[in-house]
Amino acid sequence: MFAYYLNLALRSLKRNKVLTALMVLAIALGIGASITMLTVLHNLAGNPLPGKSSVLFHPQVDPRPMNLAGASIAPPDNLTYIDAVNLYHLKAAPKRVLTSANWLPARLDQPGSPLDMTTTRATTADFFSMFDVPFTYGSAWSQADDNDHAQVVVLSRDLNDKLFGGTNSVGKELVIATKVFRVIGVIGPWNPQPHFFDLGQGAFGPARQMFIPFFTWLDLPQDYGYGPMHCWGNNPSAGMHNPKVADCTWAQFWVELDTSAQVSAYREALVHYSQQQKQLGRFTRAPNVRLRNLVDWLDYKHVIPVVVRMQTWIAFGVFLICMVNVVGLLVAKFLRKSGEIGVRRALGASRRAVFMQCLIEAGVVGVAGGLIGLPLAWCGLWMVHQQPVSFAASTHLDVTMLVAAIVLAIVATLIAGLWPAWRAARVAPAMQVKSL
Amino acid sequence: MKMLMQVRPIVAALRSHKAAVTLLVLEIALTMAVLANLFFIVRGTMERAHTPTGIAESQIGVIQSIGVIGKNVKESTGANLAALQAVPGVQSAAFGAPPLWNAGRVPVFRIAARQHKTLAAYNSLGSQGLSQTLGLHIVAGHDFVDSHLPTIMQIFGAGKGHPTIPALVTRSLAHKLYGDADPLGKMFYTGSLNLRVIGVIDHLRGNITGRATDDDSFVVEGLVGSQDFGGGYMIRVKDSARLPQVLRAAAAALQKASPGHVQAKMFTFSDYRADYFSSALATSHMLVAIMLILLIVTALGVGGLASFWVQQRRRHIGMRRALGATRGNILRYFQIENLLIVTAGIVLGAIVAYVLNLALMQHFELPRLPPDYLVTGAVALWILGQLAVLGPAMRASHVSPVVATRAV
Repeated sequence: MFAYYLNLALRSLKRNKVLTALMVLAIALGIGASITMLTVLHNLAGNPLPGKSSVLFHPQVDPRPMNLAGASIAPPDNLTYIDAVNLYHLKAAPKRVLTSANWLPARLDQPGSPLDMTTTRATTADFFSMFDVPFTYGSAWSQADDNDHAQVVVLSRDLNDKLFGGTNSVGKELVIATKVFRVIGVIGPWNPQPHFFDLGQGAFGPARQMFIPFFTWLDLPQDYGYGPMHCWGNNPSAGMHNPKVADCTWAQFWVELDTSAQVSAYREALVHYSQQQKQLGRFTRAPNVRLRNLVDWLDYKHVIPVVVRMQTWIAFGVFLICMVNVVGLLVAKFLRKSGEIGVRRALGASRRAVFMQCLIEAGVVGVAGGLIGLPLAWCGLWMVHQQPVSFAASTHLDVTMLVAAIVLAIVATLIAGLWPAWRAARVAPAMQVKSL
Repeated sequence: MKMLMQVRPIVAALRSHKAAVTLLVLEIALTMAVLANLFFIVRGTMERAHTPTGIAESQIGVIQSIGVIGKNVKESTGANLAALQAVPGVQSAAFGAPPLWNAGRVPVFRIAARQHKTLAAYNSLGSQGLSQTLGLHIVAGHDFVDSHLPTIMQIFGAGKGHPTIPALVTRSLAHKLYGDADPLGKMFYTGSLNLRVIGVIDHLRGNITGRATDDDSFVVEGLVGSQDFGGGYMIRVKDSARLPQVLRAAAAALQKASPGHVQAKMFTFSDYRADYFSSALATSHMLVAIMLILLIVTALGVGGLASFWVQQRRRHIGMRRALGATRGNILRYFQIENLLIVTAGIVLGAIVAYVLNLALMQHFELPRLPPDYLVTGAVALWILGQLAVLGPAMRASHVSPVVATRAV
């Protein structure tokens, strides 16, 4: 029966090519626009580290004073220097990473090599294994290097290409903020988006050019900013030149917890730590801790740019208009077939059969619209790629979105076809046959 | 009157197509609502991208020079400025940042007690020569005189002392501070400074957000000499065509004068401005593409239904023709029918547009939609509807009266 209806649908669609083409085009344009924006949304809201996102956690504690005007209930996103160091030494998590970012003047350790401001991530050793960073040459530094404040540096592939022409630079030396650093490793391509581990520096965009041990970085003679700093109290710029002051948060901290037992134990450890700090008089609030995993953290931080959310709504507005258009054209189309439907009804076809036949016809239009909409979505994404926005590079069409486009086209057209098909099925056989 | 005579039968005929007419009206209403709001957003961005900051934009170049900390080289901002000024083609140079670059506003008070924050304004702070280098237009009072300037350390280090220093204010800020009174010689206050107005400038927009507060700015200069600062150095050239070459020469001179500094960035203000608006403009282009899609789809919908109706009514048209209706009558029939439907859609669309605008205002901080955008949207849709119906209506007018005598 399905094959027969399909055949009828194709014949009917062929009979009025203009009307059919208009419907297909309307669906295709609607699908093109909405799939373009859905893809951008899908890519931006994607999981930056699918293999590990469930075991990476972002601890927060609340060191703020009791009656801070305008303070929210949520604890600060980042840690103060003291809490960062204390939590870093808390053994309840097997792997933990302390990180921040800025830029530093750097050059090759050769006379005449020009100084350049180079984007830097300061971090502890576990960063590379926790966040699945691949190495092309050499390796990460060790925890001993962290403890010794070793002057070692890991380069990004781009910086290694720029400074050393892409060759193995392990053992070579750089002058960073007037101190000599030895290259210990060069990473491969690695730039998970959004930059979940440090959203304060912009959630999307290029990766940092070099990585240096966190405590070594703090020792450097420098004043180039210490990441997104939030201070309270009378001196809003207290931490600008001294990141170790007590009332400024700026350090990002992540832990890896492999089992749910570890997670609850760590949460308790955070509460215990807060209580301890309160007894010491450092904290004044009741323990106010959070321990979100990577996905929940991104959710909480609303990383999707406003522009993208707005354009997605607009694209769906366009899709809705396209579908209203299709409903109108389908009504017209089925109404034109009234005579034919009358004859079928008179010859014994049930309302249900007529309804199904019309719906299948609508479905065929939907499939065609979806197939033509895909290249349009591809063009749309090409347009997005040309945009000078930080998230442009991370958008691409994948299989999920291809399937979604076709499914969306068919489902939307079937829904659009419901009412016209129902109307067509109500055609009274006698009236139509008489007028023939 | 003749028009009205024609309208009545059309309305009567439309009643028998309630479903299709309703859908068409709905589609036009939605198109109108989305179109008006998109056009409003795009127009706002375009206007912002073309709003001048009030400085001599085409003549200004900026070098960001960052001091390497921990290096024992004694350099001075004053000597750097002298080196920049000596570069051929440079008209003036100053230490300071141009508008749009990390623009932030500071609270401004009308009375020295500083208790009631009256408003916030953009503060352009720099060395001697700042106002000359920015090329500000002074419309009342006079420019800074170097011998009356405080040192820049007096400004930076001002805590409890509240030194009194000269300032230039924009006309807009002067009006907000003092109303219609003459602002020259009057005082205003920031958290750490007492400022005396010595001159009024026509425009200086610290940032271009599209709000009226963009033009609320004041300028202060402080003498630099032996101190060593990192930050922005600006040059203004005599001939804007030679700006790129002169800027490169200036960067080389600055590097020579302060080898311990890193030149992190170097740009002409025009390039910076283009970059600043590029992503907003790119978004606008996407929205324009979406507007075009909407117009096409709506035209297809209107044209498609009209063409269907013409086919369906071939026999009726033939009869009317046989009974003496001219081709013009038939043509006008479909045109008026379209006009009625589109007008109904526009009326409904105006309401939907306002509702949509309210939602956008709430979620995306958009301003209120001015009514003239609805008029523009209405005109666009009327024209679109008439164009879309023209083909089918022409075809209808060519239906031969003989059709009436034949079976369909």
